[in-house]
Amino acid sequence: MTHTALSSAQVVLASSGDENHPPENISDGNTETFWISTGMFPQEFIMRFPEEVTISALTMHSYNVKSCRIERSTSEEAEKFEAVEEKEFEHTDGHLQTNDISVPGISATHLRFVILSGYDHFVSIHKVSVQ
Amino acid sequence: MVKLRARCILVGDAAVGKSSLSQMFRSDGTHFQKNYSMSAGVELSVKSVIIPETKDSVELYVLDCAGHETFVEACEKMWGQPSVVCLVFDITNEASFSGCSHWLERVRSHCHGLQIPGVLVGNKSDLSTRRKVEAAVAMEWAQSQGLEYHETSAKEMENCDAPFLSLAKAFHALYQDRLQIIQSLV
Ligand SMILES: Nc1nc2c(ncn2[C@@H]2O[C@H](COP(=O)(O)OP(=O)(O)O)[C@@H](O)[C@H]2O)c(=O)[nH]1
Ligand SMILES: [Mg+2]
Repeated sequence: MTHTALSSAQVVLASSGDENHPPENISDGNTETFWISTGMFPQEFIMRFPEEVTISALTMHSYNVKSCRIERSTSEEAEKFEAVEEKEFEHTDGHLQTNDISVPGISATHLRFVILSGYDHFVSIHKVSVQ
Repeated sequence: MVKLRARCILVGDAAVGKSSLSQMFRSDGTHFQKNYSMSAGVELSVKSVIIPETKDSVELYVLDCAGHETFVEACEKMWGQPSVVCLVFDITNEASFSGCSHWLERVRSHCHGLQIPGVLVGNKSDLSTRRKVEAAVAMEWAQSQGLEYHETSAKEMENCDAPFLSLAKAFHALYQDRLQIIQSLV
């Protein structure tokens, strides 16, 4: 496993959408660009790694996310996901949420993020980085 | 182009015309429509509403609940986190109008303090000779609750799309507003 494999993760799929704020904005490394959900919960997006990686921690920059479940898959295709972690985030007002999530050294080819609820009708995800 | 989705809760006393309204809304034949029969007392219809002068649309997931007490609890489980609310009464039935504040409270208790756009609908406007609730009174109460007021006749197919269009527009406006807030943060 290489460091590049971790940092070249791509968001390949997301529920709901605004053309101006596509899911690629989650993995472009920039917190100024974002993907925004466009109504109702749950919402999800899937991140793909170019090869199987081992993950020990994640950092997520978001706004108005209340609870989120993280799932992983080790298959070639984005399938057979199993839950890794479920988190409740604190509400922030006037600035983004930044949450570090540590996971016990899991291997994965894909990560699925299921946003179960929000503090508002719409939530935005600005950046997810993986260590 | 933005495609929004909103869970629309249709509530009000039994027999005010909720099911008739949701049928009118989905059966105009001009838009994509789907229909699901769910557990006893709940019906879901889905229809996309185009926001005028934009390329945006709101897909409304309209949950119609039978007004009978026995079904209400089963129905509330389906509400989840509502996006918008459509509150219906019968203009010939005073009790159905006074029941509206109870319904609104019930819906708001599911919203965890979140503001949700809503409309108040006075249905059966074709029966104006038997009217018991004046439009001005209904309008005043609606405004005090931050709701838009519409009168409809599901029987005569009068004005039945207006409440749903108004909800879709309000949800779209909310989206624009929230998007702007997020953009101001980054
Ligand atoms: N005159 C008249 N009758 C209506 C109207 N809308 C519904 N009804 C009638 O009122 C009764 C109850 O309607 P329904 O849609 O089942 O009410 P729900 O219990 O709120 O879903 C039915 O007999 C309908 O035909 C209306 O606009 N005008
Ligand atoms: Mg009914």
